[in-house]
Amino acid sequence: MSVSVLAALRTFKKYALIALAVIVGFTAGHWVNAAFYSENAPVQPIEFSHKIHAQDNEIPCMHCHVHVARSINATVPSVNKCMNCHRNMPGVWETPEIVKLRGYWERQEPIPWIKVHDLPDFAYFPHKRHIQAGVDCANCHGDVAGMDRVKQVEPLKMQWCLDCHNERQVEHGRDCWTCHK
Amino acid sequence: MADIVEKWKKLREPGYFGKFDYHWGMVIDLDRCSGCEACVVACQAENNLPIVGEKRFAQNREIKWLRIERYWEGEYPDAKVTFLPMLCQQCDQAPCETACPVFATYHNQDGLNTQVYNRCIGTRTCAVYCPYEVRYFNWFTYQWDEPLEQQLNPDVSVREKGVMEKCTFCIQRIRDAKDQAKDRGDRVRDGEVTPACVQACPTEAMVFGDFNDPDSAVSRAAEDERHYRVMEKLNTQPSIVYLTRVEHHD
Repeated sequence: MSVSVLAALRTFKKYALIALAVIVGFTAGHWVNAAFYSENAPVQPIEFSHKIHAQDNEIPCMHCHVHVARSINATVPSVNKCMNCHRNMPGVWETPEIVKLRGYWERQEPIPWIKVHDLPDFAYFPHKRHIQAGVDCANCHGDVAGMDRVKQVEPLKMQWCLDCHNERQVEHGRDCWTCHK
Repeated sequence: MADIVEKWKKLREPGYFGKFDYHWGMVIDLDRCSGCEACVVACQAENNLPIVGEKRFAQNREIKWLRIERYWEGEYPDAKVTFLPMLCQQCDQAPCETACPVFATYHNQDGLNTQVYNRCIGTRTCAVYCPYEVRYFNWFTYQWDEPLEQQLNPDVSVREKGVMEKCTFCIQRIRDAKDQAKDRGDRVRDGEVTPACVQACPTEAMVFGDFNDPDSAVSRAAEDERHYRVMEKLNTQPSIVYLTRVEHHD
């Protein structure tokens, strides 16, 4: 005598379909979120394109991130820095992103940029040490010059840091207190 | 694991600390110490030490990387009090380092006994092994009432519950000085690093510097004939030298 489980399953059919829909929905939602709205590439208050500035117009990184070679921070430029060039560029004066920029300038407000490469608070990362050692910006930040919206490409995890420190045989580069605080 | 133990053994050879880049140390002149506790306050502000409150203070759960010990002699009215600032001695043969099961405390290339907060699992063994009782345990995650959180030092981690902590010789200031020296392509010069306690001391009872440099202020101060180290017989070889108090008897 055989017992069919199909009859029993049939009563759960509705719930199984709902569960399947939920799983598919969550997976798709997660993927959409990670691909388009993740913290790796947040939507900034102004759609500033590094591609236009650094690649098409070949402005070097340090023209705007002035203090990167002599400061712990890479330093995001002030609105003043943007306006220095843009007030002399009537060609793009009326484009929507520049209108936003002018708004911040007229209101005398800093632009609330969203930090993309955000290290934890217990990590001490001096930009100057790395720039002076000849590490290229792209080594950690990826090809920013080719990005319209900045995206975090490297993991920025401790093992990833240490891989490079080991490879370059950084002096005291493995001591905990060199990088942690 | 065997790799770590081998490296660790290498660092435990006698005299190993002479090979260090710097050997940070301190000289405390007890003759100059007036027990004002300005150093204690400075340490509290610099290193994000929590304010534990009256109740927990009574339970001996206060956190003070630097404390002033008071020694009373005689009975009132002929009582006499002497002060001794007690902080982590940054021992070269540190007993705490032998105890930690997860290597959260170790000796680094600057001759500092350091504590890795993220590694610490809170067994509190190091505090038991420390003869100077200068290791403090976070029994709670402490909160800073507004607006006090605004004065937290961004260069120092805020420790959480379950983590051991102790004096670091203001390692954030050492790191900063080393960073600036490297920009010049030079070594850290004498007097460029000043821990918060040394900076705050009104009588200049504390001197900080590099013992590897024989001409540094700290090396010269340690040559004073009044010098001694606390509990020298334990062979912990502290990096802090005390200059004993001179007493006048009629």
